[in-house]
Amino acid sequence: MKFLAWLIAAALILCVAGIATPSLVHAQPVPTAERPAGQGDAPRAIVTKTHPHDDIVESSGKGMAVLFWIFAAASIAGALFVVTRRNLIAAVMGMVGSFIGIAAVYMMLYAQFLAVIQMLVYAGAIMVLFVFVIMILNRPEDEPVAPTGRLGQVIGGVAILYLIARLAMILINVALPNKAVALASPAPIMLPGWGTVAAEPVGWGTVKAVGNDLFGPGLFPFEAISILLLVAVVGAIAIARPLHPDDGTDADPGIHP
Amino acid sequence: MNDLLFDIGYGHFLVLAAVLFLIGVAGVLIRRNALIILMSVELMLNAANMTLLTFSRMWGDEGALSAHTFALIVIGVAAAEASVGLAIVVAVFRGRRNVDVDKLTTLRH
Repeated sequence: MKFLAWLIAAALILCVAGIATPSLVHAQPVPTAERPAGQGDAPRAIVTKTHPHDDIVESSGKGMAVLFWIFAAASIAGALFVVTRRNLIAAVMGMVGSFIGIAAVYMMLYAQFLAVIQMLVYAGAIMVLFVFVIMILNRPEDEPVAPTGRLGQVIGGVAILYLIARLAMILINVALPNKAVALASPAPIMLPGWGTVAAEPVGWGTVKAVGNDLFGPGLFPFEAISILLLVAVVGAIAIARPLHPDDGTDADPGIHP
Repeated sequence: MNDLLFDIGYGHFLVLAAVLFLIGVAGVLIRRNALIILMSVELMLNAANMTLLTFSRMWGDEGALSAHTFALIVIGVAAAEASVGLAIVVAVFRGRRNVDVDKLTTLRH
């Protein structure tokens, strides 16, 4: 129940992020005639600029920073849950929370289509598959972590922390190769009374852009992935099917502890 | 320090992806349950996807094949990998009644 409440809270925060992210609200300039009533006269209405990079802001807003830290913390906490929990269902719930956080971070990177696909495919489909397999297995794990000595744990922990620190020192100061596009993102969050919104080039990361790319230059990988999925389906059935007809798990329902 | 907290740049996304990847690596290394190992692999693929999207945004993404398409293909490959991996887990469990990777040592002898 605690995990469920946590999950619902994360989904609510994601909805807030979807409302607040300017790339969702302002990406496609809606013509004035088609604009829904009540939205067109608002002071934060869409301003279509001739040059999209005219008012690029150098730094992202504070609301963006707050949301980024929230979702980064959610994804990392979920990932740590996966690694540390003994209960498998708890691990799966942590994984779902991590995927929700990652989807929100995708949205901050202007990959709206990928964010939705992430929620649908990962949090929706793959995790349900994991839950089903866990229900089939239904066996508690004896000891969650591989048995190493105290010394090995200390050395491993220090090594991982050192690696993270060095990676952070290198990666935090990356140069921007394409300033015109790069500085437009991450865009400031549209919260009431906070800052301005940079106009976003239309069609970045939307379904239309990804579809145009997928069926244009990406046609061959698209066909290849379809064949790969077909092979995976056939292979999964062939592997998981019992070799002998009387060898199925239905014959012996109980798990012998 | 204030800039690091309130000025979110691309480095933050890259560091987040790196940390997620490292957590996935740690999960693969220290856990013994095959299901947790599969989930950690999914986590690593997600971190790689996040890096792809960040670099796509940094570079402006004017190549022949955009990173969004590539990330979509990675998600498809991850789905295929998860289904086959889970099928293998179920098959192993049917024969051996556990999925502890430390006890699956038949091929070693």
